[in-house]
Amino acid sequence: MIFVIGSNTTEAHPVISYYMKRAVKRGAILIVNDPRKIDLAKWATLYVQHKVGTDIAYINGLMNEIFKNGWAREEYLKNCTENPDVIREAVKEYPVEKASEICGVPVETMKKVAKILGESESASVCYTLGITEHICGTDNVKTLANLQMVLGNIGKYAAGLNPQRGQNNVQGACDMGALPNVFHNYQPVDNAAASEKIAKAWGVPSLPQKPGYKMPTMLRKALDGGTKILYCVGDNTVQTEPHMAHTIKEIEAIEFFIVCDIFPTITTPYAHVIFPDTSWGEEDGTFSNTERRVQRVRKALTPPGEARSHWWVMQELAKRLGKDLGFTSAQAVWEDMRKTATSYAGITWERIEKIGLQWPCPTLEHPGTQFLHKDGKFSRGKGLFVPTKWIPQAEQPDADFPVILSTGRRLWHYHSGTQTRNSVGMENLFGEELLEISPKDASAMNIKTGDTVRATSRRGSITLKAWVTERSAPGVAWCAFHFAEACANVLTIDRFDSVTETAEYKACAIKIEKVKDGEPLGVGTIRQARP
Amino acid sequence: MSSPDMKQLFVIATRRETEAYEFYSAAAAKVADPNVKDIFNQLAKDEKGHFDLIEKFRANPADMKKIAAPSSDWKVAESEDLPRLSTDMKPKDAVALAMKKEQQAVEMYRSLSTIATDQNVRKMFDNLANMELGHKHKLETVFVDIGYPEVF
Repeated sequence: MIFVIGSNTTEAHPVISYYMKRAVKRGAILIVNDPRKIDLAKWATLYVQHKVGTDIAYINGLMNEIFKNGWAREEYLKNCTENPDVIREAVKEYPVEKASEICGVPVETMKKVAKILGESESASVCYTLGITEHICGTDNVKTLANLQMVLGNIGKYAAGLNPQRGQNNVQGACDMGALPNVFHNYQPVDNAAASEKIAKAWGVPSLPQKPGYKMPTMLRKALDGGTKILYCVGDNTVQTEPHMAHTIKEIEAIEFFIVCDIFPTITTPYAHVIFPDTSWGEEDGTFSNTERRVQRVRKALTPPGEARSHWWVMQELAKRLGKDLGFTSAQAVWEDMRKTATSYAGITWERIEKIGLQWPCPTLEHPGTQFLHKDGKFSRGKGLFVPTKWIPQAEQPDADFPVILSTGRRLWHYHSGTQTRNSVGMENLFGEELLEISPKDASAMNIKTGDTVRATSRRGSITLKAWVTERSAPGVAWCAFHFAEACANVLTIDRFDSVTETAEYKACAIKIEKVKDGEPLGVGTIRQARP
Repeated sequence: MSSPDMKQLFVIATRRETEAYEFYSAAAAKVADPNVKDIFNQLAKDEKGHFDLIEKFRANPADMKKIAAPSSDWKVAESEDLPRLSTDMKPKDAVALAMKKEQQAVEMYRSLSTIATDQNVRKMFDNLANMELGHKHKLETVFVDIGYPEVF
């Protein structure tokens, strides 16, 4: 049984969606929960359209029903969790009738979903940014974790809580410490023992023991001089951060801004220095995918012009700052990393020549780990329930901005389009952004598919064509951020989850107006693709 | 040490299990975290089970010959340092400590095997080493499951 929530899997994770579809063909039950009627809904045993940002109320309501009907796995709760009575009590605040009022899912549908979950031998919960890109993103994830513990689904084959990681190597980037508070292998920078161990291995007297800033804080601090230098690698910051106009102000305030990328983007004009980067086909290395599988990437092409592998660029910078790292290849960097990363220690390039290995793989003899917490064994001993309460989105629709805008990805384009918008083929398949509007809302505004519309939030305006579609629920519009010339992030709100500082990309308030014939569009149309 | 005989073998083996039982019971009493306490209590219970098993072998030594080594030795215990027993231990430290102790037991029996002159006694020590290797493997499985949290 697969329970998908907040994941437009066919478009954002097409390979994973293939496995989901195959599972359905083989008889698996698929429940798709999403405010937008995404393509995966066509494959679902049951499609549930809950309102944007109501995940906590919806899931707590399901748990309430599961407890009420005796479907909770009491043996698991007793043996593998620490405080089952806390969650049992907490979800009493969300009887399905009340939850239904908040999330908009009919009571009978909620009861049906709870029954399917409760009676399934195991269930795999898959989620992604529809869950995390809210001001309550952390609590959304905790709520799903609570559900899976109530159902005894953590530490079991074909079950578990499965975040589908955003990019091909976001897992690997996190594993390697591309985070403000951990070294590689999730060793906390403020842990003296970890810091000393790594400093010794790297041959330096000491390393900083104070966690750095998360990205929104880095940018915010630029305005008061707290961030003076920003080194941005493969990220089109202007286009990908929320509230674009404000992001530009923050970037303009940075004293020294370095960008490393493979093509010019709308961020590169703000850079003082640009390093030409290599693309994925032009260098050796590894990618770690969403199932923690480390896989080899091989250089197939010689990088053009002055483009260099990023490890080489970093090494040259280190030299100029007085430290010769002495690496001669990407593999040498890997071998150096492996010495101080216990979960990766058993993964050599030779072992993953053909098929990748899943970490933890602590020794050369270890076969890798398919799934964690087997038989309900947790890192802290027993699983801890953390009850959650539903809160509304940061910006509610009102008379001035009556529509909720939600944002995401399209199948044909990748992130801010640095790669795909430079592909003529992709541009031919999907060459401009469209604003998805429900037939009911479109009819009320006399808008047809193909009409040019202006979407405006308190932060800015974009002009694009309308796509009248049943995918959108009434009162909700949707567009992506792939297109600089009509980018959702002109509109999105810079309000963040307090723990992760992930922005609420999935919900802000906008108004939509039809652009009359002859009226200036207000933005230039830039086609990035080149022959 | 002179070559041990079969009688000494059982004395060594039961003493080892008794000491391990006492160690884990004492550790359970010492640590603060109830999860770690549970782990040490379970480990003490396991050691009691091992003691009983060895007593059964004493009665029927032929049964010991049936102990085979686990299908693989991941050598995870060998890759970790022995954690210090302390009141603020985490679950992973408790499991690491236990797997290191099993590793030490394997090494002890293997070393006794090399000095045993009696072929039969040597084989019995090899079998005891296999038994401890099995315990080590079980604990390494638990350690890998909980010892590398993706926390940030």
